[in-house]
Amino acid sequence: MSSFYEDNPDLKIAVFAGKGGLGKTTCSAALAMWLSKKKQRVLCFSTDPQASLSDIFEKDVFGKGSVTLDKNLYVMEIDADKRIAAFQEEVRQKIRDMYGIDELPKEIDEYINAAGAEPAMHESATYDAMAGLLASDEYNFHVFDMPPFGHGIRIVSMARILDVWVEKMEETRKKAQEYGESAWKMQQRTSGAGQDEMLAELLEIRKKLSFFQDILTDNKRTAFYMVITPEKMSILDTERALKMFEQMDITLTGVIINQVYPKELLQRKDLGDFLRKRIEMQQKYMNEIKDKLGKHVCAVIPMFDREPKGLEMIQQVADIMMNWDGKITEE
Amino acid sequence: MIIRVIGNIAIYPCGDYLMNGKENPDASKERRGAKETVKDFFYGMAMQGMARYALKTRMYLEQLFMLITLGDMLGIPILPPYYSLKLLPYAVPNIKTWKRGLFKERDFTDALF
Repeated sequence: MSSFYEDNPDLKIAVFAGKGGLGKTTCSAALAMWLSKKKQRVLCFSTDPQASLSDIFEKDVFGKGSVTLDKNLYVMEIDADKRIAAFQEEVRQKIRDMYGIDELPKEIDEYINAAGAEPAMHESATYDAMAGLLASDEYNFHVFDMPPFGHGIRIVSMARILDVWVEKMEETRKKAQEYGESAWKMQQRTSGAGQDEMLAELLEIRKKLSFFQDILTDNKRTAFYMVITPEKMSILDTERALKMFEQMDITLTGVIINQVYPKELLQRKDLGDFLRKRIEMQQKYMNEIKDKLGKHVCAVIPMFDREPKGLEMIQQVADIMMNWDGKITEE
Repeated sequence: MIIRVIGNIAIYPCGDYLMNGKENPDASKERRGAKETVKDFFYGMAMQGMARYALKTRMYLEQLFMLITLGDMLGIPILPPYYSLKLLPYAVPNIKTWKRGLFKERDFTDALF
């Protein structure tokens, strides 16, 4: 995996997707750590609602903004609820300022409250935070730890859907304005609308979205990884994801096989039946992965005898992940 | 519109200037009045309907736009609420009219006028 980063110096983002509990966060952390030794200012950003970067780095970073962990290594785990609350307040304040009122009309206040409770709000807020981070250009590299599969992919496709919507809205808005203008011209009045702030805001949203989508679908700037374990479900899930990636014009950069029991254990005479069966099962699926996804595999990470936590362990994972020998199975 | 044109003629009788035969301070005003009158007359005949139609179309487009952005308010979720909220402040003054327009009962006379 390390050569990939040497060959593609323009890379700005790495995205980790996959089922929950397979080690996306661990891999994200490991990559961020490895990169922080090579590049400047690397941000590891968790978009997982059950974010676990705090746990992995053994430091409470949840909802604290960007936290410096090491030289060039920054971690951010956003607290979506807090962000939404802040955003709602921002909207309220804007209305108060714009119209010079102390209290919002009841129905508008209620609407703001209700909108905050929508499930899509979390996604949008996270998404917006990501786009904002990229636009700010504060970090040289961003590692995005996506929420478990369906979600993670949706976040990518949302940009496309929204973009189409915003385009349509912009069209309606512009047309409305045109009709207004020509009516006023016929009535010999000067333009009644003045600057259309709403349209400006719309264009701003659209600009942000297309910018983000452009980067995400550009395989020179974004690397997409799927984390997989040698188990049936995980393989099926990845195959499905591959199809979705294709539909969205996203190139899969690599598949990382995680939690693989060391095969050498099979040589040991004192190995229990339980573990032997598990290892044999895993090897069977390793062969399946080799057949089906062989060309995508870019790293194999073994199962550790303890949870990969703390800077030292993550460093170890990074070393293994970045310097894979290219063998999925022995033969 | 026709009433307006007649009104203008009544206020600025064109003959006054011609009969006096000399410039008075009010003359330019009167001349403009005459010009305005003619202009208004043609506007009423030719343009007014078009302008009205354009404004009406604009209103419908505006309503459509509001429905897309703030449909949530009426239980029609179209745009993700995050972006609705971003646009909300600009729409505040129009919300009442928009709702009234949308919920208004319609009959065939709406099509006539």
